[in-house]
Amino acid sequence: MTDIQLVGRPRALIAGRASRLRRRIAAARWSYLYVLPMLVLLLAFVIYPIIASLGYTFYRWDGIGEPGDFVGLANFARVMTDSIFWGALRNTFFYVLLVVPVQLVLALALALVLNNRRLRGRTLYRTLFFLPVVTSAAVVGVVVQLLFSNFGDVVNDVLMSIGLTDEYVDWLGDPSFAMIIIIGVGIWHTLGYNLVYFLAGLQTIPDELYEAARLDGAGALASFRYITVPMLRSVGVVIVLLSVIGSFQVFDLVQVLTNGGPYFATEVVNTYVYHLAFGGFGGTGVERDVGLASAASFFYGMLLIVFAVAQALFLRVLVRRRGGRA
Amino acid sequence: MSAIQLSRRQLLGAAVATGGAAFLAGCGDSRQNAAPAQGTTLAYWDWYVSQAPWVDNEVKLFQQANGKTTIKKTTQVTDKYLDLVALAFRSGTAPDVLLLPTKPKLETHVGEGWLMPLDKWATPEWRSRFPANSFVEGVNIFGGKVYSAPFSGLAPALQLYIHNGVFKEAGLTNPDGSVLIPKTWDDITRAAEAITSKSGGKVFGLGFGNAQKGALPWLIELFCRGAGSPGGTQSVDYRTGRWTYGTDRNYADFLALLLDWKSRGFIYPNSMSISDEQARAFFSKGRFGMIVGGVWNQAPWEEAGFKDYSLMTLPSPTGTPQGFFYGAPGSYLMGLSAKARNPDQAWAWLDWFYSPAAGKRWVQGGYGLSVYPENNDPAGVTSPTFKQYVAMANTALVGPVPAIRNPEIAKVEVAPVQPDLPDVAAGIYTGQLKDTPKALKELEDRLNGALGEAVSKARGQGLKVSMDDYVFADWDIAKPYTTKRG
Repeated sequence: MTDIQLVGRPRALIAGRASRLRRRIAAARWSYLYVLPMLVLLLAFVIYPIIASLGYTFYRWDGIGEPGDFVGLANFARVMTDSIFWGALRNTFFYVLLVVPVQLVLALALALVLNNRRLRGRTLYRTLFFLPVVTSAAVVGVVVQLLFSNFGDVVNDVLMSIGLTDEYVDWLGDPSFAMIIIIGVGIWHTLGYNLVYFLAGLQTIPDELYEAARLDGAGALASFRYITVPMLRSVGVVIVLLSVIGSFQVFDLVQVLTNGGPYFATEVVNTYVYHLAFGGFGGTGVERDVGLASAASFFYGMLLIVFAVAQALFLRVLVRRRGGRA
Repeated sequence: MSAIQLSRRQLLGAAVATGGAAFLAGCGDSRQNAAPAQGTTLAYWDWYVSQAPWVDNEVKLFQQANGKTTIKKTTQVTDKYLDLVALAFRSGTAPDVLLLPTKPKLETHVGEGWLMPLDKWATPEWRSRFPANSFVEGVNIFGGKVYSAPFSGLAPALQLYIHNGVFKEAGLTNPDGSVLIPKTWDDITRAAEAITSKSGGKVFGLGFGNAQKGALPWLIELFCRGAGSPGGTQSVDYRTGRWTYGTDRNYADFLALLLDWKSRGFIYPNSMSISDEQARAFFSKGRFGMIVGGVWNQAPWEEAGFKDYSLMTLPSPTGTPQGFFYGAPGSYLMGLSAKARNPDQAWAWLDWFYSPAAGKRWVQGGYGLSVYPENNDPAGVTSPTFKQYVAMANTALVGPVPAIRNPEIAKVEVAPVQPDLPDVAAGIYTGQLKDTPKALKELEDRLNGALGEAVSKARGQGLKVSMDDYVFADWDIAKPYTTKRG
């Protein structure tokens, strides 16, 4: 009897849960249907390639035919001891650490200006600041590359004539300047996204709060500190996360502007992986090794997951602490 | 204004139907759709851009001679050609006829079963029209079957191009008013100095476009071969069977000279960040007086109306080349897909492409040298600059070919090294690598280590190979070499 009760109750419980789940799915069937295409694409173009490439990490393979040269974990060992990989990782972090804060500060400042209802033509300004976002990074890269290569010596002439430099500078071919230029272009190119996010966040803050603060004698700075910043906190966390993720994905700008050079000065992890997988231009540069590239990609992915978890935990603690104080 | 109202179900149905139709259309074989109602359409792939006028003309002549055969040419982007070919074969959409990628080795393509043996048509009689030793096991023959044939004649891969106008402006002329062609490393230094100083720094002595990382290795290749380094940037020194970047002082000496040119302002400042195409355009506009490149530079320049240039090859410290360009007696260019749907017609196009008449038009058009020596007659060439190139054919010699002596050596897979020469050259040029001899020695050690490991691994797999297979101790680099079969 006891046995029957012990077994019977969970079964009934499971059956009840399954039934409820079916009902919930049936009730939201249109939602599931709408999500389905995206899910299929995600499985086909993200999940499947990730799983499929895991197998390649154990082979030395040039991407031709089927992999057959099993090397075990040697590819991972090689990546972990490759100074070029760590240099690329350092460059990637340098890019993220400069792009994210500068871009966020600029985007917030611009959003505050463009959120002012007394500003004439603010819709036009918003459009202008958002325009670079809708332009492909590859196209932006090509244009900037052409600008520096075709007019680089004109820029040099001007700088030399006003005494800022005493010699010609190869802006994209000089390791001292190339990364800074990439970072500058990167900030400009995606600034519009964060601007729009901040604008959306600002527009959710009720005007009454500012009016009340004004009646209480608060100035603009105090309103910003005690109303805007706290009210933007949750949106800000999302913006920071998206900005960090987007910056870690930097690839096309580097590939088009400098191809990772000169001598790896601008190599980021994504271009490092690309060069390993597809080789250099016209037979120059490193030769292809899809297995090694897959291992590098996985290892980088693991590092990013650790970083993302740490970041999320840090932000959660931060928000809780600030929330507690407020 | 009327509005069409659809229920959610109708809208979904329409979307599924449209998407399904598009999907089915996408899955269809476009080549079948493109085929004419009668006759044969051959899909042909190449990477020839500046050579396209010659290919197009040959296609036209071939189609005129073979009424019912149409060639659908697709010119793919050069640096992705290997990927595109590999993907096409794996997805079953390979062209019937194609130029074969230079990497990986032809043996890999054959091993994958992608290519069709040509023995049915490439009879001994057909092969006899090529120069002796044109068909070599391990090069274009595998397992006794022919898969391709050589197309080009041995020729100097790189030249130093000289802008006549810039040279004349700098006073670099002979007493008769002709341009003074530099021959030694010092001549080039003096010319670069004269150009830069007389223009007040507005025109530079030399320029190159290293954005794709290939131009600096070209400079090293040209100057060090001329100084007597027979491996250049392409191979081991077959006299010792070892890479010699660190032990052969020509490499360090040339890089020191290059850094000297840079520090004295002789080199176009944006050379590290512009592409070779941009550099060629700047050269033609007179932004600098000298550039290193191949014969492929000439056709685009001539098309653009720029003809005021001269060329030389293999500058050396003494003025007499100590080393040369070396090639194999056999090589390959075009092949047929194993699944070509009309093999006889595909062969007919390949045969036309390789015909002596087409080769003659190739030379006369200024695209390169032909595999048939009788086509390489400067007298038949109208362009004076291409005539200079044809006259340089004696700077390319047949060199040792390890695969002829031991065909198993073709199966040795040497792992890539990183940083490799293009990286190290860039690092030295930009000052990121400060100790040139040390950087070159480390590169040499990496390359020799990779070669040794590859040979050891191949031996472990049962191949009868050794490091001695790369050694040709009796090779006189100033003379053509005949590799004896093993």
